[in-house]
Amino acid sequence: MKNPLIRRIPRELISDWHKYLVIIVFLVLMIGLVSGMYVGHDSMLASIEQGKEELKLEDGSFELSKKANPELLTDISTGEMADVRQYYLEKGMEEADSEVSEAIEKELDEQVRNTIEEAVRTQCEAYGITDEDMILDRIDEAVDENYDSAIKEARESDEFTEASDEAYEEAHDAVREAVDDEWDEISEEYGLDDEGFSAVRVSIYEDFYRDESEDVDNDGTKDATVRVFRSDTSIDQASFNEGRAPVTGSEIAIDRMHADNMGISLGDTITVGGKEFTVVGLLSYVHYLTLHESNTDLMFDAFGFDVGMVTPEAFDLLRARIHYNYAYVYETEPADKIEQADTSENFLKSLITQTLVHDNELKSYLPEYLRQASNFAPSDIEGDSSATSILCYILIAVIAFIFAITISNTIDKEASVIGTLRASGYSKNELAFHYMSLPVAVTLIGAVIGNVLGYTAFRGLAVSLYYESYSLPSCHLVWSPTALVKTTVIPLVLMFFINLIVIVKKLQLSPLQFLRHDLTKARHSKARRIPAWSFLRRFRLRVMLQNLPNYVVLIFGVIFIELMMCFAFGLPDSLDHYGSRAPEMIFADYQYMLMGYKDSEGNVIETSESSAERFSAKTLLYPKEAGSFRTGMGSGQDESVTVYGILPDSSYVNMPGELPEKNVYLSSAFMEKFELDTGDTIALHEEYENKTYEFTVYGTIDYEGGIAVFMDQDTFLEVFDKKPDEFTGYFSRNEITDIDEQDIATVITAEDISKVATQLDHSLGGIVNAFKYVLIVLAAALIYLLTKIIIERNERPISMVKILGFKNTEIGSLYIIPTAFVVVLCAVAGFAAGYFLMTMVFKVFMLKMDGYFSYYMRTSSMILSVGYLLFGYLAVSVVDYIRIRRIPLNEALKNME
Amino acid sequence: MDESFLQIRSLNKSFGSGEAKQDVLRGMDFTVKKGEFCVLLGPSGSGKSTLLNIIGGIDTPDSGYVSINGDKLEDMTEKQLTLYRRKHLGYVFQMYNLIPNLNVKENIEVGAYLSDDPLDVEEVITTLGLQEHKYKYPNQLSGGQQQRVSIGRAVVKNPDILMCDEPTGALDYKTSKEILALIEDCNSKYGSTVIMVTHNEAIRYMADHVIKLRDGVVRHNDINEVKTPASELEW
Repeated sequence: MKNPLIRRIPRELISDWHKYLVIIVFLVLMIGLVSGMYVGHDSMLASIEQGKEELKLEDGSFELSKKANPELLTDISTGEMADVRQYYLEKGMEEADSEVSEAIEKELDEQVRNTIEEAVRTQCEAYGITDEDMILDRIDEAVDENYDSAIKEARESDEFTEASDEAYEEAHDAVREAVDDEWDEISEEYGLDDEGFSAVRVSIYEDFYRDESEDVDNDGTKDATVRVFRSDTSIDQASFNEGRAPVTGSEIAIDRMHADNMGISLGDTITVGGKEFTVVGLLSYVHYLTLHESNTDLMFDAFGFDVGMVTPEAFDLLRARIHYNYAYVYETEPADKIEQADTSENFLKSLITQTLVHDNELKSYLPEYLRQASNFAPSDIEGDSSATSILCYILIAVIAFIFAITISNTIDKEASVIGTLRASGYSKNELAFHYMSLPVAVTLIGAVIGNVLGYTAFRGLAVSLYYESYSLPSCHLVWSPTALVKTTVIPLVLMFFINLIVIVKKLQLSPLQFLRHDLTKARHSKARRIPAWSFLRRFRLRVMLQNLPNYVVLIFGVIFIELMMCFAFGLPDSLDHYGSRAPEMIFADYQYMLMGYKDSEGNVIETSESSAERFSAKTLLYPKEAGSFRTGMGSGQDESVTVYGILPDSSYVNMPGELPEKNVYLSSAFMEKFELDTGDTIALHEEYENKTYEFTVYGTIDYEGGIAVFMDQDTFLEVFDKKPDEFTGYFSRNEITDIDEQDIATVITAEDISKVATQLDHSLGGIVNAFKYVLIVLAAALIYLLTKIIIERNERPISMVKILGFKNTEIGSLYIIPTAFVVVLCAVAGFAAGYFLMTMVFKVFMLKMDGYFSYYMRTSSMILSVGYLLFGYLAVSVVDYIRIRRIPLNEALKNME
Repeated sequence: MDESFLQIRSLNKSFGSGEAKQDVLRGMDFTVKKGEFCVLLGPSGSGKSTLLNIIGGIDTPDSGYVSINGDKLEDMTEKQLTLYRRKHLGYVFQMYNLIPNLNVKENIEVGAYLSDDPLDVEEVITTLGLQEHKYKYPNQLSGGQQQRVSIGRAVVKNPDILMCDEPTGALDYKTSKEILALIEDCNSKYGSTVIMVTHNEAIRYMADHVIKLRDGVVRHNDINEVKTPASELEW
């Protein structure tokens, strides 16, 4: 026989349908969204993984200052470290040999000339010639006539051989001595003594590019920078979301996301590097899933930065300098993350030494696992999945607690029935199972409908969310077992156990206690004493005390919602704040970084722009705890710091007062991010060499645009061993037009600073705004469910006070004001906690990222984030008041059952 | 009849401690035969409900024991006690304690579900005169009708012992007599041993066995040679 108690479940659902509808809709939305996220995420990640194989993603890349000769590439591909000692010896010997040989030749020449001169003078004297001019003429003639034979004779003499051998040997000894003396330093600088080194064999591919200006509307002004690659590259290829690869010299394929942001469609004409191209393809490069221009950028920029593909012929015709970028692929794939780091470190040693001995220069090195542009998106997708599911679980736990409280109240109400059933022989397990059925059934309904929606409507939503920001390849639906587990099994388990614990605890009482309504284990010997307030105030306090468990869940829920509110309001506010301050955050409207301070002909690069001012700059690293917030987010390395050398009386950077030796100013962002103080010592180190510089913090320069250090130009040149006339670039108020593009490395404008804000706003703005409204609904639903319990629990007393003659408004004030008090208090406290927590979270997050901006919230947002929640509560209060008015007078007189 | 069906031996029970200690049962001894209609009679505070609860396995004595068919309740674990109640007992209380969102038939099925050998639910409904109400919910029934359902829920299990705790306490005279008649019917028709707690002296005449309690002790332990049918009782 089926347990007849089962029939109560559907009746319970129907009789309280509005409550369960709220819960089911809530669960369906939560589970549906998370399921959609997972299915969408798994689909996207599958397509990214597939792309890595099919489109030949590099294992890393490096850039050289000039094109590598074949020998260098061959040597690098062996993965062996070059013999730097031999290189220095050979180089030293070569220099010494040339010096010695020069000296010998000079000495020989002088000796031969002297010998000839002496012979001629002796001869003249014998002939009585005294005219000095005549003597000199004779000498010249004699030199012309006998020089070669005399030189030959001298060279063949034993004396010469002996002397020159001696000179060479002496010079070689001096070189050896010098190399020996300095070897320790050199060896340390390049980490050559590493015993753990093992050669990493790689295959190397050319992946040259040019950073060209992109003019979307062909109006002559630059709209973005486009990194142009050749279409015939055999590494780091692209997949096409739309269109095809370029085949003629006037065709280009560009990034799909950038095209979308800038309103570029297939068939449009854009100007790249001053040349017009027709867009024939919208692509996604496997190594540019997010458009990070530089790996140390805080955020990618799909507006101001683009990647494109042209034919090799068109590439050759472009004018911006070529970046000699080489991609490599390991012959043996590292097994895990630790090995990955070791392999990359070993390979870097080979790279540094080989480029050194081949007289080339390593400009940059980036192993793929640290590459933001290819790792940020998958990492963000994975991270979002877990963050969303955690949010979902928190909410499901809240729902589970609401259920548990409801059931706990039902058990109280049905105490006599439970007592009778237990006395009749129903076991605790049977009753627990019975009371568990409803929450589990409701969760199951929510999970099933949620998952169906997850695989259909919400998957598209999740995917489109990422396609709004990232340059991902097209993806196809994949079946996600994770989604099923995380969105069905885990919510069910949560609901099951939270309710099980509460119900089992509640059912511990004996049948007799149920029959006698003796439901609290520890009875207070005396009633809780409360202050001698007015009757109504004491009544309200009693209501509050009676409903403490409800309020605990309410407090938890409200604080959670306020925390989310601080995120939903604070993130766009922080972005706006940062974006609006971008113009203040740049020293000059234009900051030109040059390739070198001299052009290809060796002339110092000058400009006629009157506002231009020279500065020096260098990138060093500030040590911080290794690792990223999430893998692939942030460069995952030490903080990149720009060290500036500023001219005295600079009109762009105001350095008050003269700096004592080894003292520097730090940007306010640097001070704030690492919590530094005046007087602290900072140690900055070179990226590819083992060199460290120590400075004392002298003061702060109000600059939030970057992590920067300032010193005067002369100190800069001295500290970094630069030539007296050397510099890095120009600050300028106006655009500089008279410097050759080939000589300019980068130009930084206010837009570059604010791009983080623009991009984040674009990626998150819409969803964050929607999130606010979801939160209001969530808050209202939560409060609705909890206050419903409070009123249901008090139906009889409410009915009784009605009979006694209390007015509905008075009763409303008795039962609504305590909740209102708790809600307002929680909202304010929750907001304060949320604000504090978000500030902390931002700081921790920023520490793991490159660059900095702080958490900021407008006063109006602060008020709104509490106001929205209270507005939600107000709506619920109206419903509650109506509910109180509808409680009939005879409720108090009814049989308990 | 089996002489040793239900044995109550030296049963003691008190509540509270120290000065507030109150002895409710003081060395109670008696035996009930199988199939007997036994009435526990006594004024308020005489310990009759406590005694019933101990016999029903939902309360425990301080000393002494209850044994049914030779099985001592004090030796049973909580699980065994639950099983004991499930297999052998039917309970009827003064308050009907029906499940509000189950109808009459379903409330009776709640009892039937517990038994390995339940009576036919429809037959019980007919016996209880609830045929026309069987699809009604408890709040659509009068007190007497609700008590009938409650008796149905207990009887349908076909229990060895039917425990009734003031089953007519909340009912009017006429309805009370109807309910008593029903319990009488169940006793004779299904052979259940009935133990009924009441303070109504008149009910003693319909019992086989009357145990009169006062201050926690058995004052009288009488066997009625001649029983009066419930319908003829007057009070």
